[in-house]
Amino acid sequence: MKQPVDFTVTPTFMTKLSLMMGLALLPHVANIPANISLYLLLLLTWRIAGLYWTRLQPGRWMLLAATLISILIVYSQYQTLLGRDAGVALLGMMLTLKVNEITKRRDIYVSVFISYFVIITQFLFSQSVLLTVYLVAVVIGLTSLLMEINRVTPPRKPYLPVVSTFKITLQALPIALVLFIIFPRITQPLWNFSSEASARTGLDDRVTPGAISELIESSEVAFRVQFMQQPPPKQQRYWRGLVMWDTDGYSWFTDEKQMFRRETIQLMMIDNPIKYEIFLEPHDEEWLFALDLPLEAPPRSRLTQDFQLLYNEPVTKPINYSLHSLTRYGMTQLTPGLRHRALQLGENVTQRQRDLVAQWRADSVDDRAIVDQALAFFNTEPFIYTLSPPRYPSNPVDEFLFEGMAGFCEHYATGFTQLMRIAGIPSRLVLGYQGGEYNALGDYFIIRQYHAHAWSEVWLEGRGWVRIDPTAAVAPERIEYPLRLAFGEQGAPAMFEIDGGGMVTSMMRHFTHALDSANIQWRRWVVGYSREHQFTLMRNFGLDSYTAMQWSLVTLGIVAIVLLLVGLNIVRQGRLLLSPAQRVYQQFCDKLSRIGISRRSYEGPMDFSRRAARNRPDLARQIMAIVDLYIKLRYASQESDGRQQRLFARQVRQFRPRQR
Amino acid sequence: MAALTTAEWLQRLRRSAKPESRGRVRILPRSIYILPTRQGVLLALLLVLMLAGSINYGSNLGHLMTFLLGGVWLVTILHTWRNLLGLSIQPGEAASVFAGQTADFTLRVVNNGGSSRYGIALGSKKQHGGSVDIPGNAGSELHIPVKTQRRGILPIPEITIQTTFPFGLFRAWSYARLDLSCLVYPKPAERGEPPTLAIYNHSDSGDRGVGADDFIGLRSYRLGDSPRQIDWKAHARERGLLSKQFGGDRSEQVSLDWELLQGYETEERLSLLCRFILQAEEREQSYSLRMPQEKIPTGSGPLHQQRCLSLLARHGHDDETTG
Repeated sequence: MKQPVDFTVTPTFMTKLSLMMGLALLPHVANIPANISLYLLLLLTWRIAGLYWTRLQPGRWMLLAATLISILIVYSQYQTLLGRDAGVALLGMMLTLKVNEITKRRDIYVSVFISYFVIITQFLFSQSVLLTVYLVAVVIGLTSLLMEINRVTPPRKPYLPVVSTFKITLQALPIALVLFIIFPRITQPLWNFSSEASARTGLDDRVTPGAISELIESSEVAFRVQFMQQPPPKQQRYWRGLVMWDTDGYSWFTDEKQMFRRETIQLMMIDNPIKYEIFLEPHDEEWLFALDLPLEAPPRSRLTQDFQLLYNEPVTKPINYSLHSLTRYGMTQLTPGLRHRALQLGENVTQRQRDLVAQWRADSVDDRAIVDQALAFFNTEPFIYTLSPPRYPSNPVDEFLFEGMAGFCEHYATGFTQLMRIAGIPSRLVLGYQGGEYNALGDYFIIRQYHAHAWSEVWLEGRGWVRIDPTAAVAPERIEYPLRLAFGEQGAPAMFEIDGGGMVTSMMRHFTHALDSANIQWRRWVVGYSREHQFTLMRNFGLDSYTAMQWSLVTLGIVAIVLLLVGLNIVRQGRLLLSPAQRVYQQFCDKLSRIGISRRSYEGPMDFSRRAARNRPDLARQIMAIVDLYIKLRYASQESDGRQQRLFARQVRQFRPRQR
Repeated sequence: MAALTTAEWLQRLRRSAKPESRGRVRILPRSIYILPTRQGVLLALLLVLMLAGSINYGSNLGHLMTFLLGGVWLVTILHTWRNLLGLSIQPGEAASVFAGQTADFTLRVVNNGGSSRYGIALGSKKQHGGSVDIPGNAGSELHIPVKTQRRGILPIPEITIQTTFPFGLFRAWSYARLDLSCLVYPKPAERGEPPTLAIYNHSDSGDRGVGADDFIGLRSYRLGDSPRQIDWKAHARERGLLSKQFGGDRSEQVSLDWELLQGYETEERLSLLCRFILQAEEREQSYSLRMPQEKIPTGSGPLHQQRCLSLLARHGHDDETTG
């Protein structure tokens, strides 16, 4: 007798199972190509149709053929069967094919377990609150199907197994949380499929004109920021990412060889540092973002001499970090090596550029004045700020400055930086984000890809590196806006933002903010939970000096305690060990014990009642009546007798002995 | 100290729930065993795989989901255990059968707790006895079929009560030894007529059965015949000691006697007697049965037959039952 409950596969059950599997696969539609999604849908439909028209049920050869075709489809799509994306597609096919051959109880288990696996792979693509809630719901739904095949009669109401499974899941939650908090996080991957191509949007480590205007189309979240105090005004909310020193005249980049040269820069604080926390979305690159200028490096990253933050490995999963930044600062000295690097020019400097700069130089007393001249140039000449600039194929900077005069932030920044270098002012290009969308509900800023921005930094003697944003100099009337434009605060550059004035858009915005606000807490406490958080937590409990062995014991201990508590709870709910009569009798004994007559463990009800009656003749009649009833209930009737039981309970309730 | 063999050790480990009052067996915490089923092991392996994947891709939510399913796995142990805990099994009845037939033990599983129990299965080592869901404060009847081989008193084999509810990841089971037995009659012999000395008193006037009114003939005297039955006139004519036989509405009457079946093995004798009883009942004859210890006077009808067959079934068991 292996299986206590016989089970035959009914069409209703199979439909439910197929639907739950479909729901488990559903979010992957966004992650796998449309043709594979369609193929999966076809397989599922085939299965459900086969339940009702048995002629459609596939035979063994048909299934084998379908399996081979599936593998071929995956291979032709990805050129591999390994790795995240191909693996997910293959898993989806396995699942839908498995549904097609369910005949036995074991097949149901295998299908449900594969579905669990499909569900967990969704987290490789998104880690939002909504998705998590949805997937937990699907897991509960799937698991409740297992409950249905382990009982005999069908449930009274179809949702009851789901409710029971939900309760069991709730009981499992404390265990899951304990394990989640203390299970050690390993930072290095166990294996790696190098063939995986990244498709994430984000800044590139090379600025060529047009690079950022591509990003502006995307409203994907780059990161979120929460300030621990009053946030800085918008014109100071420059989020520093990469610094680019080197150019070939066409694009800007950073020479890898130069990057790690040790140079020190003395920093003078003019203001108090601002403390904040950043929740960075994965972008598959190494750089981290910080408010201009970061003072320190978060764990597992380093701060370069040009104030870039570099993470130890590409950011492939969401991370959180806290930082201090200075918005006003001074620097003392530029080393000759860096000065040389900050003046290096490409080969495409034209005579008209040199003439322009020479004229500025002649009109200015110092470097600062030249910078102002340049900004005035962008402001007074008919420069247009546009999302769709003309192409400048042969000499981008020159054509932009003197012919097209229409461009996006990277055009302005590269043009300005090149002009500064011609003027002999050390300068560099900075890439990052500007501004951000305030979420009042969660009191934090959302920085999206369309906030991407490029600006310049120039070295001014006595002040150090100074941020100059040439885009901000463009006259407001010459800003084209295909989208609604949010005008910046005084001194801040104009940025394109999706912003609606209508009621519907405003409500939508409110709703998305509410959702995003839940997401940031989620990001802070769950998704971004890291080894560092773990260590901090442990230090707080004074556990940081434990060995791995001691750790496992502590983990096991806590899990055991949680299990014990859940177990006690379960047993007490059902009150199994005592029959109703025994429970009431226990109350009766407790009452007697309070007046000094305690039942001894070896005493049966008869002996005990006789002794009690002898001790308290005044209560004898009551005691004997109660015990008689108890004996009748417990030892005489076959099954519980409701009326007698109620009488017994009433008598015990009314029994109120007093101490003499 | 002699080392225990594995079998002995296992035997020692095995706790059976023993009957308390009125033969009822209650499943108490210490008598419940629980182990993962094949599916439970499969899920555990899958969880390890999921954890490895989550570690590899550094997915915190992957960790969380794996731990949640792991938590469900663990909590299921308690639920499966609890699903069995506190149930009681009451012995019902077992109708007598002939050896070789299948005995059917009826048991009643009673749930005294308030919560329903699901997928409770009863069975013996060899036979599945079916499964039921039992609502709170209710009971349900289940049947354990047992193939019989030998006549005698067949005690109910050790019963396994088990469940895999809620998710089939664990199997909780308990052994119960109940106070219930089935009386197994001997297997009737193929064919055969009672030996001639098991007397037939024929009457041409038809079926008259056994009675006291009508004289139907004479037969040789047997120890125990009443002196009033003896045909003294025939004795005076030196025709030997003969007893007068009286019939009722049937004229045929069979005396079945253990002693008359000399030359057969005990079980063969019992089989033959069993066949004779069935045959007599079929032919609507009256019959009496004389066994070494006990004699059942002439009679007929289902109750009489049952009495006679029981006597055969208990042959040799009497020491146990009466002593």
